[in-house]
Amino acid sequence: MTVKIITDSVADLPPEVAQELGITVVPLNVRFGDEVYRDGIDLTAEQFYDKLKHSEILPVTSVPTPAAFAEAYDKLAEETDVILTIILSSKLSGTYEVALQSVGLMKQKCRVEIIDSQWAVMAQGFVVITAARAAQAGASLDEVMDITHRNISRVDMHAAFDTLEYLKRGGRIGRAQALLGSMLRVNPIITIKDGVVEPAGRTRSRAKAIDYLYNFAMSYSYIEEMAVEDAACPDDAEALVEQLSRKFPKDRIYRSKTTPVIGTHTGPGLLLVAILGDR
Amino acid sequence: MRQIESANGQDLREMFAVATAWLEKSAADIDALNVFPVPDGDTGTNMLLTMRSAIEEAYRAPDQSASAVSKAMAKGALMGARGNSGVILSQIWRGLAQGFAEKESFAGADLADALTQASIMAYKGLSNPVEGTILTVINEAAAAAREHIASNGGDLKEVLEVTVNAASESVAKTPTLLPVLMEAGVVDAGGQGLYTILEGALRYLRGEKEQMQFRKPQIIVSDVTVAAGLPHMTEVEEVPYGYCTNILLRGQGLDPDKLRMKLKKKGESLVVAGDESTVRIHIHTYDPGKILHYIGSLGTMHEINIRNMDEQHQGFLEMQRERTLAVDIAIIAVVAGDGLTEVFKSLGATVVPGGQTMNPSTKDLLRAVDSVASDKVVILPNNKNIVLTASQVQSLTNKAIKVVPTETIPQGVAALLAFDYEADLEANTGLMETAKSAVKSIEVTRASKDSQLNGLKIKKKQAIGLLDGDLLTVGDTPTGILNETLTKLDLAEAEVITIYYGADTEQTEAEAVSLAIRQQHPELQIEVVKGGQPHYNFIVSIE
Repeated sequence: MTVKIITDSVADLPPEVAQELGITVVPLNVRFGDEVYRDGIDLTAEQFYDKLKHSEILPVTSVPTPAAFAEAYDKLAEETDVILTIILSSKLSGTYEVALQSVGLMKQKCRVEIIDSQWAVMAQGFVVITAARAAQAGASLDEVMDITHRNISRVDMHAAFDTLEYLKRGGRIGRAQALLGSMLRVNPIITIKDGVVEPAGRTRSRAKAIDYLYNFAMSYSYIEEMAVEDAACPDDAEALVEQLSRKFPKDRIYRSKTTPVIGTHTGPGLLLVAILGDR
Repeated sequence: MRQIESANGQDLREMFAVATAWLEKSAADIDALNVFPVPDGDTGTNMLLTMRSAIEEAYRAPDQSASAVSKAMAKGALMGARGNSGVILSQIWRGLAQGFAEKESFAGADLADALTQASIMAYKGLSNPVEGTILTVINEAAAAAREHIASNGGDLKEVLEVTVNAASESVAKTPTLLPVLMEAGVVDAGGQGLYTILEGALRYLRGEKEQMQFRKPQIIVSDVTVAAGLPHMTEVEEVPYGYCTNILLRGQGLDPDKLRMKLKKKGESLVVAGDESTVRIHIHTYDPGKILHYIGSLGTMHEINIRNMDEQHQGFLEMQRERTLAVDIAIIAVVAGDGLTEVFKSLGATVVPGGQTMNPSTKDLLRAVDSVASDKVVILPNNKNIVLTASQVQSLTNKAIKVVPTETIPQGVAALLAFDYEADLEANTGLMETAKSAVKSIEVTRASKDSQLNGLKIKKKQAIGLLDGDLLTVGDTPTGILNETLTKLDLAEAEVITIYYGADTEQTEAEAVSLAIRQQHPELQIEVVKGGQPHYNFIVSIE
């Protein structure tokens, strides 16, 4: 039977892509005071950044409920007997644990495998997309898991921030705290390594930060997939896409917006490039 | 060289007070080596705290004899012993005190005897002695001292020299004896700690107390080829470690040997040390309650300390990560002025004070190189006259040094900002050199004498403007000169301008220049920063 793929909302999959590939997305939650929103469902990226601008309360995020995963498992179990769940880095969120625990809450009988992608955003997204494509092509669970593990080491991403304050406040900054505290105005660039946030570099201007991301993409010898994501800075994202389209077909660049949960930890102004490929 | 025949109790105390300060300098590095018996990363700290307690107690000795002082130190070490290594160290002190018993002072032969006693006591403290640890190091060091005395005699310093050399060799081969060290690619932390203490004592005898302030103990690197080590270290196998339990037991007629037998099956890493009235117990157990219950029945318990080792282990892994990655490459920059110093520090550089008319010496730079945790260092001289000094440093250190020949502060900042956390030393040097060349620097200062240069007539104290080190403009006010120098550049090509104003310059003057530029080039990002630098009214970076 066809392997069914589940991921969480932090993969930032464009909704039409998830739908086309039959990927079930379990949302994390974002909470302003006592208002709880399911990531990307009850609150879109645009609504979120608007709220972030005007709300006096800072949002916090929380993992999906075990029931949300169990429901997703049970629903898919009606169509298949093998489910692969690919989750954001377990070092950035407890979602992986919840996904594991929820297996015990299932009513249906079905094999469920859970993989820690060690990534987030579209880097995680590409791991999920390639798994779903393989599943659609009829690959077995073992084959899909093989591909997933291989692609976990073939994706990478670099992200330019306006400020690291949000990342610091959310406790996800990791060793990128080395980039904090600059006396000069700088644009910090971070990446993810082994599932945790790591510093990459910094630039003196937004324009140079965009150049940095462009050069990151140019360091690849082969690009299989590429995505440009932004948090409330679509103009910068468009400029970057234009620049990148000289080297990579524009219509193949995934354009995505970071979801409210990611936005809570990055703040507006985030611009990132995620790539599946070989250096 | 001065012969040192013997030492009394006061010398003993001084020797090891200096050795403790020496150990303190590398305690954190020793912590990071710690993988056995449990990778909790506290060996260096534990040994340091144990030594401190020993030294404190040494001052309470009833007289200045070697006997009394060593006995006090053994007591202090036992009272303050922390962790496995600390307790073993306290056993070593106990053995040394036995060796020095009844002695007013001690000579080379006495030291060899005392070390032998220390070795015996160290093994005795453990229910299951393991080689490739501090035990092997004290054993082999003592053996070397004994052999030297037997064949050559020798004064105190000579014997200690032989002991330290043997300890060093012994530490270097610990990975061959203990597979977990081999896997991790480190030498034994406890052994390294003991070596550092002995080495510190020797340096004191050699009269190097002053130099020691500027140096740092070396962590011994094993020449044994290390198998694919690191992945094992970082991929956490979540073995439950239970609780690290430390108790100081006081009572009468206590029997450490019997206690050790009793506790042997109750946990791992058992160390029992002490005498009839005081016993220090260290054990890793899943059930500290049972241990407490039993020990409590023998006397009164003090300094009870129980820690969850899973947490310790997590902390250790964090530390490993920090040590293996974060401080991989250090950057040292020569900077003058409080504001500029803050700028460089905030971007992660270690600052050596200096600049125009106050060039740091090679020794100043070397000291900074020694002080950073990394063994790969980039130096940013930030002044033409310091580039050569900086290039001398490589010949004086084993660390890998690269000098990126920055000649101005803006070049230094640009190089520092170009640092790529994911790249190696070679690649980073390249990136920094490229970045340095991409920035333009304006410096505005006052002429130090009347002169004629580049076709300009300059009077002493007149304001002069330099572009990338070349004299370009001369005039009466620094602000005027800065504005004039800026006109010589095509600012339409720039993105970011940073104005660092000097110690004798007002912020308002800098703001005025900034405003003037902004009016002409509204698209530019302009920052005014207090540099606080001497000599230069303005230093401006154009990127």
